[in-house]
Amino acid sequence: MENIIEIQGVKKYYKIAKREKGMLETLANLFNRKYETKKAVDDISFSIKPGEIVGFIGPNGAGKSTTVKILSGILYPDSGTVQIDGFIPYKQRKQYVKHIGVVFGQKSQLNWDLPLIESFELMKFIYRIPQKEYEENLKLFIDLLDMEDFINQPVRQLSLGQRMRGDIVASLLHSPQIVFLDEPTIGLDVVAKERIREFVRYMNKTKHTTIIFTTHDMQDIEKVCDRLIMIDKGKKVYDGSIHEIKSKYANFKTLELLLEDGSKELKTFDISVTPMSAVMEQLFSEKNIKDITICESEIDDIIRDIYEGRIVLDRPETERN
Amino acid sequence: MNELRIALQSLKMSVKTRMQYRADSLVAALAVFIRESANIIVIYLALLKFDSINGWNVNEMLFLFSLLFLTYALVVSLFADLRDFSRMIREGRFDWLLVRPRGLLFQLILNNADIIASVGHGTLGILLFLISAGKVGIRWDFATILYYVGAIVGGVLLQGGMFIFFSSLSFYFVETNSLREIFYWNMRKFAGYPISIYHKLIQGLIIYVVPFAFVNYFPAQYLLRKPDMAGFNEAYIYIAPFVGGIVYLAAYLFWRISVKRYYSTGN
Repeated sequence: MENIIEIQGVKKYYKIAKREKGMLETLANLFNRKYETKKAVDDISFSIKPGEIVGFIGPNGAGKSTTVKILSGILYPDSGTVQIDGFIPYKQRKQYVKHIGVVFGQKSQLNWDLPLIESFELMKFIYRIPQKEYEENLKLFIDLLDMEDFINQPVRQLSLGQRMRGDIVASLLHSPQIVFLDEPTIGLDVVAKERIREFVRYMNKTKHTTIIFTTHDMQDIEKVCDRLIMIDKGKKVYDGSIHEIKSKYANFKTLELLLEDGSKELKTFDISVTPMSAVMEQLFSEKNIKDITICESEIDDIIRDIYEGRIVLDRPETERN
Repeated sequence: MNELRIALQSLKMSVKTRMQYRADSLVAALAVFIRESANIIVIYLALLKFDSINGWNVNEMLFLFSLLFLTYALVVSLFADLRDFSRMIREGRFDWLLVRPRGLLFQLILNNADIIASVGHGTLGILLFLISAGKVGIRWDFATILYYVGAIVGGVLLQGGMFIFFSSLSFYFVETNSLREIFYWNMRKFAGYPISIYHKLIQGLIIYVVPFAFVNYFPAQYLLRKPDMAGFNEAYIYIAPFVGGIVYLAAYLFWRISVKRYYSTGN
């Protein structure tokens, strides 16, 4: 099948005015500004097929938001090509955005003082949604997200989870084929998160919506996404299935040692380099060990290890597809 | 007619929002009304003593002021988002407009209306018009009414254009409020009086740089023909209703160029 999203060698550098300490430097700065270049997105390529759900993760400041902004047509890339559903987002903005839905978890698009329904009505006119489609979608979403109880309350009285559901509905009323969810579960409790995950899965299954989902919550990724793209410092560091990353890094075992003196120690080993028997042998000869627990590496731990540099990923060998 | 429905839904939302805080809104609108009226009362009292300012009597002065208030009432119901644009950029709300399939200025103009300011200024404008219009010797026939309506539309476009211009500056500088404070609000204060009372330099500013003179002074001159018009090119009173359109168009072009910067830098 054709790729619906295709991005090649995308770069986005920001120039940041350098601030210097001290009065004299500040004054000098007024006339002769020094800039630092921040490589927000540094040569990222990937492609996504229709109907995929892709988890997009990376530590804070890795370039996730910038990438999502480029994908949704808010920013031009400095170089590289972006082709989504036949459009070049930043060049054909008005045509393109009819086909996408965007949710920024940290920024609401709803009118704070009015019930959700007023903001939805506005979307109906802005996107020229036919009345029938609008009513069907609204009814479906209200059912799925269990919104009956608060649809008529002013948004300012809603809980964060309720508001987020409202924001998601506002972005999906026009039945977009592609949806960018930028941290839609941020700050939500477990129940609220689960409800949003279920909804996202449902939309993907029944409507075949292509979804890019950024989050810091690995549960989101594990429960919702088939594929994971990880970026760090503006570069793509992993692109593949969740299963793959788990099995690939299952070689990293963490041992929790309980020593004779009652203290605990954590040791991480790559058993493909040092077999478990050798590891044990070495440990027992060096320390007075009372007990050993082998911690299964959860996806969470793997990701944390990658972020913190304990696991060094090889750059993705070749592009997928 | 979809555009009209967006406009109506947006207006409905602006009004409903204010109705959430009914008492507060009423007091706020009243406060705007009183604040603006205070200036008028001062002038009124002064004119009781001096009789006229450069040949303009009390009623003519009130008529001059009414144009300023009436146009502003319409400006804030249309261009409220552009008046507060730098805040919109800072809060990242501008991104939302970019992901919707409509023109950016179209959305900015239709989205929010400052109902409070609109009611406050509008009531005062209508009141001043009703008090003065019958006493300043204007024969209200088809031609004068047509000119008057044209002048109001031109005045709205002119001030709207200025808001668009200042908003465009937000793409270059983080904070533009002080520029706007100096050029828009201060010039507006000058425009309350017949500009013939000012030094040539200020006259130049208010005719050519921040052309408020075309919002009220020249339109009023067309209708009143006061002798102090001798100091200015008479053509100005005929072109006054069109200057707004020209300023708006220029501001629009500047906006088109400036908004490109947003795509390349973000906020």
